[in-house]
Amino acid sequence: MTMSGAMNQADKPETGIRLTEAQLRARRARSIAIALALGAFVIVIFVVTLVKLGGNVLTRPM
Amino acid sequence: MSVTVARVEPSIAGVGDYIALLKPRVMSLVVFTALVGIVIAPGHVHPVIAFTALMCIAVGAGAAGALNMWYDADIDARMARTAGRPIPQGRVTPGEALGFGGTLAVFSTVTLGLLVNWMAAALLAFTILFYVVIYTMWLKRWTPQNIVIGGAAGALPPIIGWAAVTGSVAIEPVLLFLIIFFWTPPHFWALSLYRAEDYARAGVPMLPVVAGETATRRQIVIYTLILAPLGVTPWLLGYAGPLYGIAALAAGAAMIALALRVWSETESHAASKQMFAFSILYLFLLFAVLLVDRVSGGLIAQAIAHVAP
Repeated sequence: MTMSGAMNQADKPETGIRLTEAQLRARRARSIAIALALGAFVIVIFVVTLVKLGGNVLTRPM
Repeated sequence: MSVTVARVEPSIAGVGDYIALLKPRVMSLVVFTALVGIVIAPGHVHPVIAFTALMCIAVGAGAAGALNMWYDADIDARMARTAGRPIPQGRVTPGEALGFGGTLAVFSTVTLGLLVNWMAAALLAFTILFYVVIYTMWLKRWTPQNIVIGGAAGALPPIIGWAAVTGSVAIEPVLLFLIIFFWTPPHFWALSLYRAEDYARAGVPMLPVVAGETATRRQIVIYTLILAPLGVTPWLLGYAGPLYGIAALAAGAAMIALALRVWSETESHAASKQMFAFSILYLFLLFAVLLVDRVSGGLIAQAIAHVAP
């Protein structure tokens, strides 16, 4: 690629959607909420597994 | 051949908008009545399992709310009470609400089935389907009996709570179902009396819009006259103690007095507003006293067993 070719690439305006500051903030908040909800779901599954298995967690055929 | 691609703006929906889709106020009443169903059920359930059941019921109720807002966005936009909801405001697209509600509905039902039991899960799935398909899609826009029949969805949580503990259904939670079922019409008709213009503008055939105010006021009295004695039945049948009986009698008498005031009122809507507000308190009071009655009864029985084994 020539020097002028590289310059043209850099000058090209970016295509696609550029998020505004408010959209970025909203997306970040939604992402955090989804992460927290998934984390809570994992904890619920883990604790319920412990409760359901109880002491039997140690009882398994060798 | 030309292809038209719809431009979708990136979402500006905040977490609060998605919480609003879950109808948190309705959800809180659902959780509370389901909790009572869990507490009054015979037998023991591990607190973690009870908590999980409550969470699933709460999320399932929220999912039904989101699906309702998805389908009713056109009606919501025309009513002052609901115009501020996330979809009419343009903060959440109907497709996002549908995806959100659908995902939560499936997740809550399957989780309840896998972690608690499938009877409770089946009842939760039925409740969501009933609310979304029978009430929202069919009855709401078609008949003034919409909230009467549709009220069954809101009345089911105590039965789901009971089923979460026992894996079955019995007469006791069915009584609680009937109390909420007969409570729903006077509650919503009191609201619709002073929101009739809103409903008429949105094309929702609520009773005051279709049959007029006089017929609505008469129906409020009739349903309240059924509700008040029904509220006392858990005590009469021996499922609750005298504390509940006294509270249900007093609150039922107050409901009847208010219904009669709504009936006699012609010009203003002061009594209707009072009836709407008090009806919420009535249901909360009945279930709260039942909860206290059962918990304190259990504690007293434990204390007696401890002192005189």
